[in-house]
Amino acid sequence: MPLDADSELTDEALLALFAGGNRAAARVLTLRLTPRVLSLAGRMLGDRSEAEDVAQEAMLRLWKIAPDWRAGEAQVSTWLYRVASNLCTDRLRRRRGVGLDDAFGEGVEPEDEQPGAEARLQEADRMAALKSALAELPERQRTAVVLRHLEGLSNPEIAAVMEIGVEAVESLTARGKRALASLLKGRRAELGLSDDG
Amino acid sequence: MTAEFDKHSERELDALLESLREDTAQDASPDLLARVLADAYEAQDGMAAAMPEEPVVAVPAPRSRGLLRSLLDAIGGWPAVAGLATATVAGVWIGYNPPTAFDDLTLSVLDSNYGYEMNIGDSLPAFDDLQADG
Repeated sequence: MPLDADSELTDEALLALFAGGNRAAARVLTLRLTPRVLSLAGRMLGDRSEAEDVAQEAMLRLWKIAPDWRAGEAQVSTWLYRVASNLCTDRLRRRRGVGLDDAFGEGVEPEDEQPGAEARLQEADRMAALKSALAELPERQRTAVVLRHLEGLSNPEIAAVMEIGVEAVESLTARGKRALASLLKGRRAELGLSDDG
Repeated sequence: MTAEFDKHSERELDALLESLREDTAQDASPDLLARVLADAYEAQDGMAAAMPEEPVVAVPAPRSRGLLRSLLDAIGGWPAVAGLATATVAGVWIGYNPPTAFDDLTLSVLDSNYGYEMNIGDSLPAFDDLQADG
């Protein structure tokens, strides 16, 4: 069966083909799902190398569960997001064990000290500060904020990923954003935020 | 928590998060895709190896079919046998005690009743002659 990355087959149908030994289905699923898992992991962890490890591990779990996948019970992407976010949470907890500063450092050390790079540096600082603030959020708040505001999932989708109700998602994202604002408050100058907020 | 977390701050935060969203968008490297695909193929190979051999199911030997069973199957089973028996009995009865309607029919068509009188002996050579001729 000719398959390509734009195949109109659902993830679930492809997974069934995969379980039957179809190599093309393996390729399509890899190309379709790996970038999404990597993106989530990268945003939750803030570390490319770790994110790649998480993406590979999450995909490996998908491959292993494929023969036992029960059709119609869950969306493959939702299941995958859940596995990836749990893997990220585990890593974040381990990091907290060794201390935030060890794990993240104090923002991103600028590699380029040339004056011409000042604007880029400021932007990098803003992003670094925001990443740092995100990293300080409790895991579930961070997961909800990342899924909602960085991955662009809807609240019902996040509810399915996190296995909680939609209202709980709304509460988590709202609390997460308030906490982010609070954490960033002391860095307004660094982030270029207005002072009258 | 923060009374000052008003709409203005929220808009700023949303804008920051949007920037972060664009900043952190990343493509999967060919190396990562290759590793994931290698895992996939390995998992598929593992699944194929783990599959049980073709299940050995004892196929019961076909029982020898009796003559009666074969005959019954050939004519359509016991219902057909019942029909045959009925037809046979009816034929015997009609032969033994023909309905008068038969007489009426044959008389009108043949100008005779259904009893044929054939003098077979006249149309056949005598048995003795056959013997004599060898």
